[in-house]
Amino acid sequence: MERDIPTYSLFLLLVFVMIPLTISYYYSLGLKKDIIWSTIRGTAQLFFVGLVLTYLFDLRPIIGIPIMLSVMIIVATFHARKKGEEFPNVFISILSGLVIIELTVLTMWLSFGMISFSPDEVIPMSGMVIGNSMVAMGLALERLKSEFEQNRGQLIAALSLGATPKQAAHLSIKKTLNAALIPNIDQLKTIGLVQLPGMMTGLILGGVAPIVAIKYQLVISISIFSSVSISAIFISMIMYRFFFNQQMQLLKLEDIKKSAND
Amino acid sequence: MTNPLFQFNQVERLILSNVSFNLNEEDRLVIFGPSGSGKSTLLHLFNRMDDPEKGDINFRGDSINQFSIPQLRKQVGLVLQQPYLFQGMVEDNLRFGPDLFQEWDEQLAYRLLDYVNLPNDFISKSVDELSGGEQQRVSLARTLANKPDVLLLDEPTSALDDQNIAAIENDLIDLIERRHLTVVLVTHSMDQAKRIGTKGLYLEEGEIIEQGSIEELLEEPNTPELQAFLNRS
Repeated sequence: MERDIPTYSLFLLLVFVMIPLTISYYYSLGLKKDIIWSTIRGTAQLFFVGLVLTYLFDLRPIIGIPIMLSVMIIVATFHARKKGEEFPNVFISILSGLVIIELTVLTMWLSFGMISFSPDEVIPMSGMVIGNSMVAMGLALERLKSEFEQNRGQLIAALSLGATPKQAAHLSIKKTLNAALIPNIDQLKTIGLVQLPGMMTGLILGGVAPIVAIKYQLVISISIFSSVSISAIFISMIMYRFFFNQQMQLLKLEDIKKSAND
Repeated sequence: MTNPLFQFNQVERLILSNVSFNLNEEDRLVIFGPSGSGKSTLLHLFNRMDDPEKGDINFRGDSINQFSIPQLRKQVGLVLQQPYLFQGMVEDNLRFGPDLFQEWDEQLAYRLLDYVNLPNDFISKSVDELSGGEQQRVSLARTLANKPDVLLLDEPTSALDDQNIAAIENDLIDLIERRHLTVVLVTHSMDQAKRIGTKGLYLEEGEIIEQGSIEELLEEPNTPELQAFLNRS
C-alpha cells in the first residue's frame, strides 16, 4: 500500500504557517522574516533532497550510498563545528568522529542482518545516526566550555594538589557527559509512550505493519543511543586537553582561541 | 652553607620585572604591596601554576623545571583565596591529593581535621553544609593532606569575617610551628603579616622595593614608597 498527500493539501500547509506568523505579528516578536525565510528554505531543501534521493536510489548502492553519506557527514561537521570554534582542529576532530561512528554502526547493522545495503534503508537510518551524533557533539562542546569556565577554581585547586590535566578534568568531563547523555536516556525511557518516534510514524504512515515499524525503531533508537554516547565521549576526550598547556597549567578559553587562530 | 630552598634570579612575568630573592627553609615570607603589584603572579611561580618569561627559579639547588610538576606541587602546596572545594563530602576533598599519589589512609583524615580544629564527624559532611570559615579550613586541610614542605597562602582569610580570621590564623601559626613549614603568604593585612611572617617582600608595580625581616620593614621602612603604603594601610 502506498499513500501520498495530494499536492493541493500541501499548499494548505500555509494555514499552519499563518499561525506563528500571526502570533509574531500580534506580540511584535519580530520573527516574521525568520518564519517566512525558514519555511521557504525548509520546503526548498526538502524537495531538493527528495530529488537527490530519487536520483541516488536509482544509482548502484556502492556509488549512491557513499556519496550521500559523505555529504551528510560534511554538512553535519560544518554545523557542529560552530559550537567549538575556539578549539584547534575542531573540524577534523568532528569529521573523523562522525566517520568512525557511522562506519561502526553501519558495519554492525549490515553484519547483524538488521538492514540491507540499499540506499532506501542505509541513507535514512544513517541520517538519523549522523544527525543525532552531530547534536551530541555540539552539546558536549558547549557544555565542556561552560564547565571549564564555571569550575576554574576547582580545576586550579586540583592542579595545585598535583593532579594531571586528565585527573583534574575528570569531574568536568563527567558532568559534560552526563548532560549530553541524560536527554537520550530519558527519551529511551519514554519512547512510544509520550510520542511515537519519527521513524516509526513514517513507516506506519507508509503502510508498514506496526510491529515491523517497531523493530526498525528499536534498531535505530538503540543505535542512536550508542552513537550519541560515543560522540560525546570522543569529542570531550579530545577537546579537554586544549584547556591545559604542557606545563599542566589551566588556560582560558580566549587563550585557546588565540592559539587556534595562530 | 646550605642552598636556599628557592632562588629567584631576575624573574620576569607579566607585570613582574627583575625579581630576585632567596627563600630559606622554615622562612615565613610575606609578599605584600598594593593591588595589581604582582603578588599573586609571584606566588604562582613557586609551584609552576605559572612560569616566568625570563629569568630562572631554582628549587633545592636545581632548576625548578627539573622536577616532575605533580611532585613539585605536592611538596609546594597552595591554598587559594576561595576554598574551591570539590563536590561531595569533606573526605572526598581531604583524600583528593593523597589518592593521586596512593598515600591515603583513614587515620590521616582525623589528623587533618584536628590540625584545622574541626570535629571528627565532619569527615562525612557534605561540603554544601559547611560555613565559609569551615570551608576554608577544609581547603587548608586538603592542601596539608599532601604533607607539603612549603605552604603558599594566597590571601587565605580575605573571604572570612574577623572571628574566623583570628581562629584560622591561630591554627596556621600552630601548624607552621609544629610541622616546621616554610611559608609564603600573600596578604593585604599588615596585622596578619606581622603575626605570621618572619620575612617580608614589598612589591610595587611588579618590582621589589624593599625586602628584609618583617619587623624591620613594618617598623622602620627605608623607602618612601613603603612608608607611603604603610601610612595608607
